[in-house]
Amino acid sequence: MANAFTRTTLRLVSPALPGRAQDWLVRSLSQPLAQQFYGQITDQFLELLLRGMDLAFALSRDYRRNIEGFRATYVWKTRDGSLACSAVFHDGNMTVDTQARPNPDVLITFKDARALWAFLLSEDQDALDSILANTVEVEGNLNYIYKYGFLARDLSKRLGVL
Amino acid sequence: MSAVTLDDLSLRDIQLSPPLAALREAYFRAVPEVCTERPALITRFSLEAGLFQRDRITALDKARLYRRVLENRAPVLWHTRAHKRTADGLEEFTFVDSSPFAGSTTTRFKGVPIYPEFLALGLWPELWTISRRKANPYYISEDQVRTLNFDVFPHWLDHSIAELARARGADEDRRRMQLLQKFVFFLVSKPNCISHTIPDFSRAVREGLRAVIQDAQAHRDRAGDPAKKDFYQALVEVLEGIIAYARNLAGSAAAMSNRETDPARKAALAEIAHIYRRVPEHPAESFREGLTTVWLCWTAVHLENPNVGLSLGRLDQLLWDLYRRDIEAGALTVEQAVELVGYLWLKIGDHVPTVPNAGEQLFGGSGSNQAITIGGVDAAGRDAVNDLTYVMLRATELMKLRDPNLNARYHPEVHDGAYLRRLCEANVTTGATPALHNDRAVIRALTASGHTLEQARDYGVIGCVEPGSNGRFYGHSGAILLNLPSALELALFNGRHRHFGMDAQISPESGNPLTFGSFAQFKEAFRKQLSWVMDQAVALNELFGRIHQQVYPTPILSALFEGPMEKGQDVIDGGAALNSSGIAIIGLADVADSLTALETLIYREGRIDFAGFLDALRKNYEGYDWLLTRLRDPHRTPRFGNDDSQADANAVWLVETIEESLRGKVNYRGGNYRPGYWTMTNHAGFGRLLGATPNGRKAGENFSSGITPNSGVTPFLTSALRSVAKLPPECLANGIALNLKFTPDDGDRGRMIDNFTAAVRGYFDADGDRSGGGMEIQFNVTSHRDFVEAVNDPSRYDQLLVRVSGYTAYFKDLNPEMQKEIIDRTEYRLSSGEAVLYETFPLAKGAAHG
Repeated sequence: MANAFTRTTLRLVSPALPGRAQDWLVRSLSQPLAQQFYGQITDQFLELLLRGMDLAFALSRDYRRNIEGFRATYVWKTRDGSLACSAVFHDGNMTVDTQARPNPDVLITFKDARALWAFLLSEDQDALDSILANTVEVEGNLNYIYKYGFLARDLSKRLGVL
Repeated sequence: MSAVTLDDLSLRDIQLSPPLAALREAYFRAVPEVCTERPALITRFSLEAGLFQRDRITALDKARLYRRVLENRAPVLWHTRAHKRTADGLEEFTFVDSSPFAGSTTTRFKGVPIYPEFLALGLWPELWTISRRKANPYYISEDQVRTLNFDVFPHWLDHSIAELARARGADEDRRRMQLLQKFVFFLVSKPNCISHTIPDFSRAVREGLRAVIQDAQAHRDRAGDPAKKDFYQALVEVLEGIIAYARNLAGSAAAMSNRETDPARKAALAEIAHIYRRVPEHPAESFREGLTTVWLCWTAVHLENPNVGLSLGRLDQLLWDLYRRDIEAGALTVEQAVELVGYLWLKIGDHVPTVPNAGEQLFGGSGSNQAITIGGVDAAGRDAVNDLTYVMLRATELMKLRDPNLNARYHPEVHDGAYLRRLCEANVTTGATPALHNDRAVIRALTASGHTLEQARDYGVIGCVEPGSNGRFYGHSGAILLNLPSALELALFNGRHRHFGMDAQISPESGNPLTFGSFAQFKEAFRKQLSWVMDQAVALNELFGRIHQQVYPTPILSALFEGPMEKGQDVIDGGAALNSSGIAIIGLADVADSLTALETLIYREGRIDFAGFLDALRKNYEGYDWLLTRLRDPHRTPRFGNDDSQADANAVWLVETIEESLRGKVNYRGGNYRPGYWTMTNHAGFGRLLGATPNGRKAGENFSSGITPNSGVTPFLTSALRSVAKLPPECLANGIALNLKFTPDDGDRGRMIDNFTAAVRGYFDADGDRSGGGMEIQFNVTSHRDFVEAVNDPSRYDQLLVRVSGYTAYFKDLNPEMQKEIIDRTEYRLSSGEAVLYETFPLAKGAAHG
């Protein structure tokens, strides 16, 4: 993730740029994530997705509007426990932790990166299959998942993938 | 004037007028369009009233909110634009609207109303892609995406019915919600709606809303209880809102008329302005005014209640006097009546439900399931069929729409053969509608479940096929959709389910089947597991019902219902004259046949032991070809649907056991729980998630639809009908869907309709003295070849109407599994009553799941 200094700097600088330029910057700085959006899924998918969001929140005023006033804690973990991370939204910011925070609003347990990608981003029936096949399990407020799904797809749209 | 005066019951000389035909054509071209008017206004006014901060929201809070929305809605008279599908995506087109009915459910010609209070947030991830999804895309503009994303959805994150239930429920409730989210055992629909009911339009039509307002005011002034005073004031608020909406439409029509240069359209607009100034505020004085009152009240009901299964009831009875008076006075011709009804049908179909992509894939193709009921008997048991019955039937034939869903009532001891023959003819003409209901059996079922005889005789059909007394029965007939084979699965594996792996104990143990010495022991294990599944579903329904009571009272529906005015109580609190919750049971034939297979092969013949049978199931019958062949041969293994006493007895035992498991359960409104056997598309959705079953069904295959015997194992029509007619109607009060497919085969249309009529009469008469006869039946009358061609070239068959299991749908909108299921249904040749054998239809490549 970008550190606090970088994030603050980007937020200060980005308003001077037109919206298309902001999106261009997000696109240019998120090429590894774009590859994931094209379906070339690696184990780094979740990390790259969160990093891309972090960058977009910093650079794009319009994208940042999505989390103004939004407070929520998301926790992701793999079923085998090999990976866990949290994203906390507060005061128009997102902070990411490499461990599972307690009492999240929503907990997403997934089999592997592809299952998570399918669940969040696939336009076809992979998302349904991931639920039906038990490769992704969600506990907590489903509306928060829907919002996160929009954030992910909105980012992919800004990256020119959608 | 007697009730039936028409010389030609078919009214075949009446055709669609060119303006109506053109509007219908535009309707079929138009894709649904998301409408953000309702969610934006509801959210804005809820914020202004501070409703998001309240733990409880009263009927008066809601009523003030709805009144503001009704007063501020855009008064849409005639639509001019819609979007159509092209090879490059969606493209706008224009058309000329000519409807005599102003106002609409949404601001769009064919709209998708959004209810963020329920499950609409499920669309959130798809907002940028929904206009290009493969299954049933919706048009949405970029501005609308931004409205929903920034101004609407964020406010409902913690305030939808489902999430309020999760937050306010106990830990045990949250565990049940996890079960619900697996889709494996049941669906509980209150997070999506209650809706399924028939409002009472009779006072609005005959007395006008002003009279109802005055009645509510008088009750308010007499009431001592402040809560009741507020409730009556809530009725006043919403009815004033409906009148305000009508006046806005009248004003808009007058203004448009003043600007219009075409004399005919200028006059049409002036007429709309004149009518909308009068009704629904005042009593309807003409047939057209009666239809207008129904239509305006209908749009208001949909403002409050999601468009899922809300039904209009017995319109041929409600409007008969107005129709008759107009005809007698020479103010209306039969042709004009058909035309007016056709326009109303098109209006009723002006919206589709909100369905996210996953829902489309599992359960897609459904409309709003707005049932209309015609025919039947009156409260005294006399023939109630009239000329308007035939007018509505003809309009249905000409329009061939998915919505409204037409249902016809027939009483074997009251009605003549000409009426039944006409109903069958309409099925041949449309290929799929109306569904036919046997009054004798239905009335018996309803009186057994708490209706008085008079209330039962005045039943209308709700949603798909569910009967309930017209305008006074708040039944939520689709409250629970229960996967019956999942209870069988738990019994087979002692509380475990293959979908979750055999290490997870899902439900209490019911005994290891390998130790059972008799079939009775296995049935007892099944009964225990059924009871557990049922209890989980009912507990969730109760939780969601209480949340509705806390935050979603329904003053508009209450104002148009028999009971709330007398009781001073919203329908959600038990104000209706009759209350109930309905459960639709999915997979009856599969479980009945599975029980019979176990009984026959293990306990009667000893052909295989339980361990061997479970091994075959785990291996999806791989290596057990002999067993599969044996199970699929109805001559060697008894199957429900062949008039076989052993197989049919197991089916009867099942429906009686299910009824028994619900007996004594009282819902949050003080009503009972009623089982029914209709499946919509859930027999395909649930089927995907279950492994092989003992009836020879392989993993992932569809269950049988509705109450219909399994496909391919019932070679004779009359035997199939007799088996179904044996099921006691007292156990089927929430309705059944018997889905039959007839081959339009021999070219002699008259003879085909005669045979069709004879088959239906035989079914309704079967075992009539004991059971009342078969209760309901519905058809697809389309050739196998046409169905196959419709899969291969959907554009040529874009109006092909089919009966799924309850509702009607356009074949092209169904998911591949459902298309396959309909094609594979047993097809009977009407000339001989024998099944026609076809190769099993292959599932489209890439369509298989799970």
